[in-house]
Amino acid sequence: MHILKQKLMAVTEYIPPPPAAPRGAYPSQSRKVKEGSPLVLLMKKEMGKVFQENKMVAVAQNNGCNAEDMMMLRHSLYKHDIRVRFFPNEVARLFLKESIYCNMTPLFMGPTILIVSKEPKVKEMLKTLRGSPQMTLVGGCIENTLLSVQGLQNYSKLPSVTVVQGELVSGLTMMTSRTASLLQRHPTHLSALLQQYIKQQSSDAGAEAAPKAEEAT
Amino acid sequence: MAAPGKVSVVLKTVKKIAIQFSPFESNVRSTRQFLSMVGSEKARATNMNCEVITVVKHDKSEPVVDITYVDGDRLVMKGANLTISEMMNAFQSRCRDKDPQAKSGEKK
Repeated sequence: MHILKQKLMAVTEYIPPPPAAPRGAYPSQSRKVKEGSPLVLLMKKEMGKVFQENKMVAVAQNNGCNAEDMMMLRHSLYKHDIRVRFFPNEVARLFLKESIYCNMTPLFMGPTILIVSKEPKVKEMLKTLRGSPQMTLVGGCIENTLLSVQGLQNYSKLPSVTVVQGELVSGLTMMTSRTASLLQRHPTHLSALLQQYIKQQSSDAGAEAAPKAEEAT
Repeated sequence: MAAPGKVSVVLKTVKKIAIQFSPFESNVRSTRQFLSMVGSEKARATNMNCEVITVVKHDKSEPVVDITYVDGDRLVMKGANLTISEMMNAFQSRCRDKDPQAKSGEKK
């Protein structure tokens, strides 16, 4: 063979790829967040603080909210003192496993955000979220009670505590006031009759006096 | 967790997508991932008339994705036992088939 052809053949020789390791020989290369890393610990502490301080914690999924819409949403929520927080899902899962909120774990899947506020202002939050179509409310935890979307909607329709207390008090006193009015029915009836009698008497006396006066004149 | 393939979601032939799931169930992962891919900015930019409606329920029902195409066809995917790649493959293959012939001619 000609030297050039030999060189070409040598250069373009087939080199088979190295045989891959059989499946199961090496452990899978899943990317696990290092639990002990200081950033994770910091974020966990932060999450703990968030859950402690805020009475209302809601989870929503945002599919492709662009920065402008996000800013508008955050602004309109901030007017009602509702804040928006972000935590990575792995950190959230680690934190929830150790806390009492472990049943919230399935909510944290995909691109989620946390909507937190000190006072449970569910109505305003629902109204604001209805304005942005990309945000999907998934669930929430109000005063350590896990609620679904329907639960949150029912919560927003509840009247305030003072109204409920007033209704309760009026319902309880209704019985006693009815008893009191029943007991007093007879004396009030008697006194009404007597008053009517006196009025009639005085009008009769007046009627007698008037014709007598007319006769006299 | 990563989106399957680099093919972007093209919604030109889709009229409406209705997704419903119950988030406290354990079989909703693929449905939620489908929602995040279909609701992303790029996907929505391909067709502004396509509506993406999400209903979050709490009745232990199966997660269902109901897609209505422009020509009236419907694709119903029950996501309880499907992976995200299967759902995307089924969805995108049908979208590509329904694309007008000119587009498939260009690809060729």
